[in-house]
Amino acid sequence: MKTTETGARGGASPRPAKSKGPKGRIARSNDRTLLFMVLPAAFIYALFYLYPTLNNLRYSLTNWDGLREAEFIGLKNFTRALTNDDIFMKVLGNNIEFTFLVVIFQTSLSLLFAIFLLKNSRASVALRTLFFFPTIISSVSVAMVWQFLYEPNLGPINVFLNSVGLDFLALNWLGSETVTLRAIAFTQVWFHTGQMMVVYIAGLQQIPQELYEAAEVDGASRWQQFKSVTWPMALPTTAVVMAYTTIQSFRAFDLVYAMTQGGPNNSSSILVTLIYLTAFNEYRFGYAATQSIYLVIFILALTALQRRILRTKY
Amino acid sequence: MKQGMGAKAFKLAIAALFAISATIVPVTGTFAAGEVLGAKCTNEGESTGTTSSSLVCKKNSANRLVWQKVKLSASNLKPVAPLKAPRGSIEFWHWRAEDKAIFDQIIARFEAVNPGVKVTQVISNSGDYTATALQKVRTNKKAGVVTTFRGSQFNQAAEADLLVDLSNEQFAKRNVISSMMGAGKYKGKQLGIPYQSLFNNPVYNIEIFKKEGWKLPKKFSDWISYCKTAKAAGYVPMAWMGAFRPQAGQIINSALMNTASTDALLESRIQAIDTGKEEITAAWFKDMAQKYADLRDAGCFPDNPKGVTEAAGNTLFATGRSPILPTGSFSMGGIVALNKEMDGNMGLTGMVWTDDANPRYTGITNNTFILGVNKNAGKTEQRISRAFISFLTQGEIATIYANGTKQHVTVLDVTYTDANLRNTSSIMSEKLVLAPRFIFLNQGVRDILEDALIAIVGGEAVNKALEDGARLIKQRLG
Repeated sequence: MKTTETGARGGASPRPAKSKGPKGRIARSNDRTLLFMVLPAAFIYALFYLYPTLNNLRYSLTNWDGLREAEFIGLKNFTRALTNDDIFMKVLGNNIEFTFLVVIFQTSLSLLFAIFLLKNSRASVALRTLFFFPTIISSVSVAMVWQFLYEPNLGPINVFLNSVGLDFLALNWLGSETVTLRAIAFTQVWFHTGQMMVVYIAGLQQIPQELYEAAEVDGASRWQQFKSVTWPMALPTTAVVMAYTTIQSFRAFDLVYAMTQGGPNNSSSILVTLIYLTAFNEYRFGYAATQSIYLVIFILALTALQRRILRTKY
Repeated sequence: MKQGMGAKAFKLAIAALFAISATIVPVTGTFAAGEVLGAKCTNEGESTGTTSSSLVCKKNSANRLVWQKVKLSASNLKPVAPLKAPRGSIEFWHWRAEDKAIFDQIIARFEAVNPGVKVTQVISNSGDYTATALQKVRTNKKAGVVTTFRGSQFNQAAEADLLVDLSNEQFAKRNVISSMMGAGKYKGKQLGIPYQSLFNNPVYNIEIFKKEGWKLPKKFSDWISYCKTAKAAGYVPMAWMGAFRPQAGQIINSALMNTASTDALLESRIQAIDTGKEEITAAWFKDMAQKYADLRDAGCFPDNPKGVTEAAGNTLFATGRSPILPTGSFSMGGIVALNKEMDGNMGLTGMVWTDDANPRYTGITNNTFILGVNKNAGKTEQRISRAFISFLTQGEIATIYANGTKQHVTVLDVTYTDANLRNTSSIMSEKLVLAPRFIFLNQGVRDILEDALIAIVGGEAVNKALEDGARLIKQRLG
């Protein structure tokens, strides 16, 4: 007994010594079984994730056009994207603005709606269904509907604004280089706010009622209750909502492509649409591979930043 | 040395003759029947039809325009019967979902005369098709017949050695109009049969022009006057769709067609921009871009032009709010779908961007939907594919396709019965050039310069738009 304790404290390997008896054979057999069970998942991961990723890395160092033999050009694509490609830098800026707008407005609006529709009254349930409805429509359909609404001369938005004398607000929604990205961001927010609202409602319903009762007893106003009870208690849900919204805003390819194809003059293009057009419109697969690596780096940096901020908050 | 120069001059002359015969399309069709061999005619290049015995208006030895019997195919012989296909199955890759039903009918006939043969259509939308079709068919043994767009996609397929040479096929020599085959040629080889003959830019509303007593504009200053008159009358003069490049860029064909004194010069200028040897700030391009600004200033385009989508532009035209649709014959089906009353009420005209009394070209045509045989398909599949293309180039079969899909075709001996196809007789008598937009083979470069022209229509100053575009093209090619 004493010997064993000394051995453990003395820094000996924590793993049990290999037993040559029947128990050891069973353990080794279990290890092999476990390893065997991991293999299918590992194989699928390697085939559909690791191999394409490594291949993408390989293509990023070439000028491959998708059909002919690829030619190795070293890091030329990487330096070109950062030093000699205004369109790439413009689109990177667009992506930052788009993500920022969508995350801020989608998160705050979904929280606001969740607070107002928290009670399970008949009206609340009906409104929740209404707000959730856009989520179940296909993104291309959403794009078509909003393309029609935004049409500058015949679209209902501008027709209405003109008819009530607010013609200064009747903008060229999808044709102006300064407005288009924001108009699409608004559509994205409209599209997914209901979905995030449901996530928030689930989170807010977990907050113990006693906390609100105690706050009321202490004479807290509605705002103070929100500030001191709802918001801190909803932070874990906010983290989920923000992470999910960020991912959604990077995957807004279908919405952007169907509404504007990134135009006018690349003013509404985001990285995923640019990568698509570089590869499949211009047949520059090598350069598109490089752009997609920068996209991964960008997402990693943003995720690290988010984690850092949230860690500080908690 | 002297001999070398002479040979060079001879080659140049042959090339120039070829360019002229390949670009001036002699296809008036059944619409101007009744002309007599040797009688006077007025429009050089006009023809009485697209049959093996059609007459063409050409200058005779006395330099007079007369109707002559000029062969339309590359052979003096009559069209050949279709090839026999061996047993087996192939895939027919294309992007025209709207043609599926007609192709189903044609395929059923083909399968009936070739027992044991199965042809399956593989259709994706034009965007996806442009993007991925060539990659997919490269390793697909069954993908026998592969269609490509004229321009960069066909060129890429040819450069990647993906298409079988059809130069020696009898149906390629005898069943189709040789002057329309240029779009399927690569380095002298006939790698594909352009099947459709489109007419670009613009479509006009016959009734409005009649009601308002307007004449079709014939030169650039006429267009400026027309725009001012039409705008004053409460119309949107041109339902131009600036939201997406594919539609917005159609008018560049008209803008380019008379910018050079020869086809070879135009081609070399475009190639120079395409490869970075010249910038879009060059004088000739700037002059052309300035005309976009002139049209803009004359009120030709809709308000907020860069935000007008294809659907909105089509609506403006189909509802009679705009008398001109600056796209092409391919839009007519969609217009009729929006408003049945437009059926038979649309004509095609040319858009001349010069005030020259005798412009080289007055209209645009395009030969696309290029049918090719996939070199990577199996040997049997390649034989079936050749037989299928030879079947499609039969006059009787092409007649079914043309009238069923409202498309003109490049095949001889086709009878057009559809009212909209017959209404295009006016454009047929113009001097037509193969759409020069597709001489640009670098899609990235073309996108940037078209963005610059769209920006000008949207209100940007010509110099700034072109300088910005030139910088981006330089980076793109750098």
